[in-house]
Amino acid sequence: MMMDNSPARIVDPQDPELSPERLKERFGRDFFRDFDIDDPNLNTHFHEVIDLMVQKCPVAHSKVGTGYYVFSTEEAVRKIGQDWQTFSSAKGYIPNRPDDMPLMIPVEQDPPNHTAWRRVLNPHMGPKVMDAIRDDVAREVNALIDKFIDRGECEFIGEMAGLLPGRAFFIYVLGVPVVDLPELVHDVDKSLFGPLDERTAYHKKVYDYLEKFLKEREAMEPQGDIVDTILKGVTYGDGSEASWEHKVSVVLDLTYGGISTTIYALGSTARHLADHPEQRQQLLDNPEWIENAVEEFVRAYSPVVAMGRTCTRDTEVEGVQLKEGDYVMMGFSSAGRDPRTIADPKALNFAEPTIHHPTFGVGPHRCIGSHLARMELAVFTREWLRRIPHFRVKAGTEPVYETGFLRAMSSLWLSWDK
Amino acid sequence: MRMKIDETLCSGHGRCAKFAPNVYTLDDSGYNADVGQIIAVPSGEEDNATKGRKACPERAITEVDG
Repeated sequence: MMMDNSPARIVDPQDPELSPERLKERFGRDFFRDFDIDDPNLNTHFHEVIDLMVQKCPVAHSKVGTGYYVFSTEEAVRKIGQDWQTFSSAKGYIPNRPDDMPLMIPVEQDPPNHTAWRRVLNPHMGPKVMDAIRDDVAREVNALIDKFIDRGECEFIGEMAGLLPGRAFFIYVLGVPVVDLPELVHDVDKSLFGPLDERTAYHKKVYDYLEKFLKEREAMEPQGDIVDTILKGVTYGDGSEASWEHKVSVVLDLTYGGISTTIYALGSTARHLADHPEQRQQLLDNPEWIENAVEEFVRAYSPVVAMGRTCTRDTEVEGVQLKEGDYVMMGFSSAGRDPRTIADPKALNFAEPTIHHPTFGVGPHRCIGSHLARMELAVFTREWLRRIPHFRVKAGTEPVYETGFLRAMSSLWLSWDK
Repeated sequence: MRMKIDETLCSGHGRCAKFAPNVYTLDDSGYNADVGQIIAVPSGEEDNATKGRKACPERAITEVDG
């Protein structure tokens, strides 16, 4: 393997900017020859690393654990995502996955089992369903804004971004009793952004709540919603029925797949608009550009840094030989900033209508919540700018980020004139 | 102008219909309703049809001759 994939194949050895010493000095790690998605240095130097990577090291290698490759170009990400026969999800989407960690359903399945779930779940998450709850989401946004607008400042993650996706999903998609919401949304938030040693306990609490919710719904009359569809289950390719654990996993996958990612998308939208008054003005003057702007926000600030696949056979991508069993990651964050497909990838261009990017995934695993997320981000942007047209990152504060296979923002203070 | 919608590549992003609702129709799940078909673009909708083609993250839409 090392014969075919010597560092010379991965990084131009003649480029002084890419020498191991120079990269270590600049980023604290040679992310190109030994990438690590969990290294705190990636969080600190995030956009510098991924931008240099997509330009000059479209295939990085990691020596962490059993090792993996990170593909950064839009083309390679698309090819890997679409070719599910060669690049399987069935061994998990994060590298060096602990053996005792249960697989998430259906994201860590391949067709035909994955297809069985998506076929029944997709109609509940389609664009028409999401259009129908547009006004409800606008009301949610405004109710949250009402609570802090007179203060002239807010901690955006705790008071808006951390609440809206949970409320939208639990009320309008899953139909969780409204009385349970404050605690549930709080627990989801703590499981994602709470103190590290408390996150597992909060995750367990969310799991237990959602399993109990499913059990209660099983005893009730069917309502024809997504919960009934999950409870009805699916028949897998081998003729077996999806287990109870798989049904609970589907609810967890929908919950966690959608909430943390949308929190980051909202946070980076707000931060970009706070930092770019001229682009804010463009949207105030041209509200019809908001949907384009949403595409640009998620393209340039992808909530998913990278997701992985396991090679089912020997193959080749970007001139790199891969062996059966090798682990590869699709670098969504960098692929959305690929100068081969976007002329000026670091600039956001709201006037450009045909932006394409792999942020919502490519291939059969395309984000099932993409229609909900796009609607939510557009409604948020419209309503926020209507209520608070001019705002900034609060003086003396710095937004706080976290990075793993997801990019996350845990604190963003904003202020505006009262 | 005619467009071919690839049956295996369409993954339900729904971007095509955003730009050309009079050209591309989505099913309830957000997938192009004409996958596997070649569709005729109505006269005057050529620009929108092209925008819809270019916006597809899967490159599932191709213009075909004739």
